[in-house]
Parts: sequence; C-alpha cells; structure tokens
Amino acid sequence: MIEAIRNQARLLLENGDVDVVIGYAEGSDPSRTTPIFIRKAEDVEKLIYDPRCINSLPLYLNKRHEYTRKGWKKTAIIGKGCDIRAIVQLIAENQLKRDEIYILGVPCEGVVSHPEKWDGSLHDGNRASKCIGCDVMTPHETDFFPGDKPDVDRSTPYEATSKNVATLMELELDKRFAFWRTDFDRCFKCYACREVCPHCSCNTCITDETTPSWIDPAAHKKGVFSWHLTRAMHLVGRCTGCGECTRACPMGIQVDLFNQRMKEVVQESYSYKPGYSLEDKHPLITYKVDDREDFIK
Amino acid sequence: MKTATLNKSDIGKCIDLLLQADLRVIAPRLQPQVDEDGPDALEVLTFTEVKSGEDHQVGEGLLPLNGVKEFLFAKHEPLFAYEKRGKKIEIIPVHHEYPQTVIIGVRPCDAASIASLESVFSDANAGFEDPFFTERRSRTTFITYSCTAPDSSCFCTSVELSPDSAKGSDLHLTEIGDGRLHVEVITKAGEAVAKQLQDLLEGEGDQAAREKAGAEVTEKLTRIRDSAPIMEWLMDTANFDDEMWQRLGEKCIGCGACTFVCPTCHCFDIVDENKGSKGYRVKFWDSCQFDHFTLHASGHNPRDWQYKRYRNRFNCKFKIYPEKFETPGCVGCGRCIRACPVNLDITEYMAEVAHKAANPNAMKADPDFE
Ligand code: SF4
Ligand code: SF4
Ligand code: SF4
Ligand code: SF4
Ligand code: SF4
Ligand code: SF4
Repeated sequence: MIEAIRNQARLLLENGDVDVVIGYAEGSDPSRTTPIFIRKAEDVEKLIYDPRCINSLPLYLNKRHEYTRKGWKKTAIIGKGCDIRAIVQLIAENQLKRDEIYILGVPCEGVVSHPEKWDGSLHDGNRASKCIGCDVMTPHETDFFPGDKPDVDRSTPYEATSKNVATLMELELDKRFAFWRTDFDRCFKCYACREVCPHCSCNTCITDETTPSWIDPAAHKKGVFSWHLTRAMHLVGRCTGCGECTRACPMGIQVDLFNQRMKEVVQESYSYKPGYSLEDKHPLITYKVDDREDFIK
Repeated sequence: MKTATLNKSDIGKCIDLLLQADLRVIAPRLQPQVDEDGPDALEVLTFTEVKSGEDHQVGEGLLPLNGVKEFLFAKHEPLFAYEKRGKKIEIIPVHHEYPQTVIIGVRPCDAASIASLESVFSDANAGFEDPFFTERRSRTTFITYSCTAPDSSCFCTSVELSPDSAKGSDLHLTEIGDGRLHVEVITKAGEAVAKQLQDLLEGEGDQAAREKAGAEVTEKLTRIRDSAPIMEWLMDTANFDDEMWQRLGEKCIGCGACTFVCPTCHCFDIVDENKGSKGYRVKFWDSCQFDHFTLHASGHNPRDWQYKRYRNRFNCKFKIYPEKFETPGCVGCGRCIRACPVNLDITEYMAEVAHKAANPNAMKADPDFE
C-alpha cells in the first residue's frame, strides 16, 4: 500500500503538481512516528504508514498554523479516514479550498492510542478508542486511494457511545465534578490540547485575549475550568473526534471526553456528524423548519 | 559521608514518620483514570501530596509527569492584592503558606534541576532573589532515588549526570538488591530527615554495591550525545541565522508542552486578575513556544515564526545557560521528548547541530538537508 502512495507522491512532486507532501516518517524511537514535509521526489521513500501514525496531519493545513504562509500553492497530504474528516470539515468551514490540496487516502486498520502503548502490534488493549466505532477505515474523500481495502472490518455503528464517556456519564453529578477537579488540578495550561486540534482555528484564541481578558490565563481552578469549558463549547459540532487533544496532553488529562460528549449531543439533537460532506453547514448556524425544539421550555 | 541501609518495603513507614513529624510529604503517585483498562488510559504518575504511607509509588515507574518544579516555582501565585478607592490604589500583601516539605522519590535528573532553577530565582552573585522561590526552597528537603529502568528518552549521561547521581540531593537512595536500599546522607537537611527515620535505618551502607548498581543502570542508557561541540557551535553568533534552524523547527506546532514539563524551564508571566475595582496581581507559568511570548506592544514580534521559538528553546538550554550559569540548562530527563506531540526530539536536534558543527556546509542552501 505504502509503495503505491510513495509512487503517487513521487509523480506529484516530479510533475510539479504539488509543492510538498505532508506525511509520516519514522520517529526518533521505534514506537514513534513523526510528521514530515517532503519537497523532493527522491525523499518519498521516507514516507510510511502503519498503526503508529497517530498524528492528525490536517492541523498543518489550518490557517492558524504558519505553514500555509510558506508560499505553497498546492499541498498533498496523506490522510487516514478520520484525518480526511478533519480536512472536509476545514473545507466546510472555509479554512481551506478543496483545490488547494491533494488527498492521498490510506486504508486504515486503526491506530495505537499512545506511542507508549505500542508493543509491536495493534490489538484491543492499545487501539485508540476512536477507532472502535470508525466508519471511515476506507476514506470517503480522496484524490488518490491505493485501492486495497483494509483487511479488518470491525465497523460498529459510529453512533456507539464512547465507553469512557458512558462511564463518566453514569457517575452522579458531584462525583463527575470531583473527577474533573482532580484531573484539572494537573492542567498547567500548556495548550498542547489546543495546538494539536485541527479545528482550533482562531488566530487569537479567546484565552489569549488580553483587552479584556475573558479567561484567567493562570492555571488555577477558575482559569482551568473556564478554559476547558469554553474550548469544549467552541468545538461543538466541529470536533471530528481525532482524539489528538487527549493524546497530546502531557499531564494525561482526557480532554476529549468533553468533545466526545458534545459530539453525542449534536448527533442526538440534529443527526449531524461533522466532516462527512464538503457542503455541510454547521447545525448551529443554519435553520431548518423541522429542527428540534423540545428543549426550548 | 554518613551511609546506612533501608528496606525498600519500609518506605511507606518512612513516609508515615515524616507525616507524624508534621511535614508535608510529596511523592510519586498514580492518578485515577476514567477507564483504567481502556485502550486510551495511560499510567499517570505525578508528584502529589500524600496523606498516608500506603499511598505512594516511590521507586516505581520512571519520571512523574510533572517533576518537582511546581513545588518550588508555583504554577500560579498572587504577588499582591490591590484595591482602587477613589483615586488611590491600595496594595494589600497576600499571605503565603510555605509548609516544611519533604519530596521523596525524586530522580537524579530532577534533583539536578533544582540548582538550575536556583540560578534564575536566587542568584546570590547577581544579588537577586525571588522570595516565593527561596522561601519554598529553604523549607524543602529532597530524598532522591537512583533510577533502575531508564527509558529510551533518557539522556542524562549526555549532560554530565547519571542515573545514580546524588547532585542536588539531601538524602540519596539506591537499590542494591535483596530489597535493600543504600542510603547516603548528603546535606544537613538530609541529616535532619535521617534522624527522623533513624528507627528504620540500619548500620552502614554498601558503597561497592551502590556503585555497581549505578554503573549497571548507566549501561542501559541508549541516547548518548556529546553536548560540548554543540555548545561551542552555538557560541558563534553567526550560526544563529543558519538556514538549518528553519528546517529543524518546521514541524513544531508551538504547544508549550516541552517547556511546561521541563524541570529547568522557568519562564513566567504576570497579569492583573481584576474584578471591579479590586483584584490580584498574579504570576503564572509561561512558555517561549507561545507566539505572543515576545510580541511587542507595537505589534512587532522578533520571533515571528515557530522555528525561531524552538531555536530559542534550544539555545536557552545549550547556549544561554552555559554562558550565564554554572548549572545545567538541560538535565537530560527526556520529558520534552516524551511529551512532544510531533516527535520533535531535542536529542535529534543535538545530533543535527553536532553534524552541522562538524560539516559546516551541511544543509546550506539545500532546502532538504542530508
Ligand atoms: S478513526 Fe478510523 S480512520 Fe481514524 S485511525 Fe481509527 S480506524 Fe483509522
Ligand atoms: S494539554 Fe493538558 S495540561 Fe496542557 S492545557 Fe491542555 S489539558 Fe492542560
Ligand atoms: S477537540 Fe480534540 S478530538 Fe476534537 S478535533 Fe480537536 S483535537 Fe481532535
Ligand atoms: S530540555 Fe527536555 S530533556 Fe532537557 S531538562 Fe528540559 S525536558 Fe528534560
Ligand atoms: S526554554 Fe523557553 S520557556 Fe524554557 S526557560 Fe528557556 S526561554 Fe524559558
Ligand atoms: S517542540 Fe514539540 S512540545 Fe515543544 S512546542 Fe514544539 S511541538 Fe510542542
């Protein structure tokens, strides 16, 4: 599979169809891979794809990241299904134009949840929870797809509630709050959760606003809770569930539990799943006559 | 130096004795997870306050995620309160508690980092003192614990440390087999703690076994870099604008993870948390990886690209520190390697710079180096 991707990447670079190919390469340690920007055809051999390729590369396509300032006219990007959902969502939000990018889709069997959990193979003990209900193992929007179907098909309905969210939602409200209090005690506001998110698109994040300051920048309870709750709200109906925020958190906080829960709410309320169609309009900025109203009391 | 032995299984009792002496005890502890066995759950080990000798992971796991920095240089703290009354502004002092503290289970890299923080926050030569830091520092004792199982990100031996180093320690413990620990009393503060634990300490230590154990663990380190040529190359200011930096830093996304987990990073910001006509002036952690770290009021930003911010971090560790201080800028704990979401590995950076130092034409005018 990766041979086909490499060949296509080589062709694209040789023909000058793209300026750069964003993909994965071996990392600095056997359990890790790293994003790589390939500009020369002979370097395509460095491209790899396997269950260690966790990163959601479309984050580099987000306008907020300065890579788009490099003068690249057309970028090719390797994407697994969930990454392509992020790309589709970026296009739907006008962050990106479809013809600015060339999507090299890869068939995906799932990825490991954290490099630390990689033990040479992918199994139920280390497969990222986002992959358990995945319906885009064969990606939905590509310019090139090597054609081989992934040899596992474990697709359960996407609607499947995340086990972690379910566990948390079963707790009494005060216990749930106590859980977040302990977890958020560890947060020091490094904002890795924001920086890895392909959909945190604001040039100046609300938490960095100083005149006035909306969210206390210090990592005390007020500063941390207001940051995370605001962030969760800003991603409602936009989060494509890549799970990167949780993986990136250096303090082991499962930040995306909020986003997963909000994903369920949006789906229950509007039957909407972001990142599937280029023409999608966000349910909170559109109006349909048959929209649910029973929550208005 | 006074030595003794201690049963590893008695560490819980040590903690209880310290707690009975009304000390605040901080130790590595595993944190609860929503779904312990779930695929996304990680072992989350952090330094936190312990209330009982049964509740600790001293000597287990490798490095707690947070390090000991936050117990000396608080994540956030009010400097003072203020209140506006008419045209007058009243400054109101804020009371701070500095409990007598023992931090147990500190690994050698973290222990060595304390001196690096001291260089910044309490430099007697420079005549500068951050009272919040020095107050905490003077009331904190460090019981350190030699490493037994370094991981692939550890590289303390590349920065003149070792997995059994007692630098920065008050009381140092090393496993010498058969569930025994070799105890070294290093400082006066360590002696005071040893006195509190005297019922559990036995006879003399076994220096030979301790050295053998240390050497065996040192062998396990796989990431070895020679930092000397790197520092030398960095000292040449012409290299600051080398084209290489841009390539090396291009994948960095500017999250502050590497700096916040770093035991020697010490940058902070100050804001006024205002509510109506009163509020607090608060000091809190900052990071040179943030795009607004060097943003001027005029709108100009000398570090306008992310690679310049990463270049700063690298220079801070291997140029600015060695230039200004006697203490290490980097203690080789590997936290930034483990934490970086895009695998920007500081030791790869070191290798690239060393390569560049040896081959001045490498990466020149060639957009794709190698
Ligand atoms: S969510 Fe789907 S496409 Fe994404 S990594 Fe998991 S299996 Fe692959
Ligand atoms: S990545 Fe983790 S520690 Fe950093 S701001 Fe987000 S939740 Fe807090
Ligand atoms: S909120 Fe988290 S899971 Fe959702 S898109 Fe952003 S990084 Fe991914
Ligand atoms: S730079 Fe990295 S390895 Fe060095 S002390 Fe800081 S976190 Fe540890
Ligand atoms: S590396 Fe950056 S954040 Fe860390 S001490 Fe140096 S300037 Fe400060
Ligand atoms: S080096 Fe890694 S951890 Fe540090 S700011 Fe860049 S992306 Fe974040």
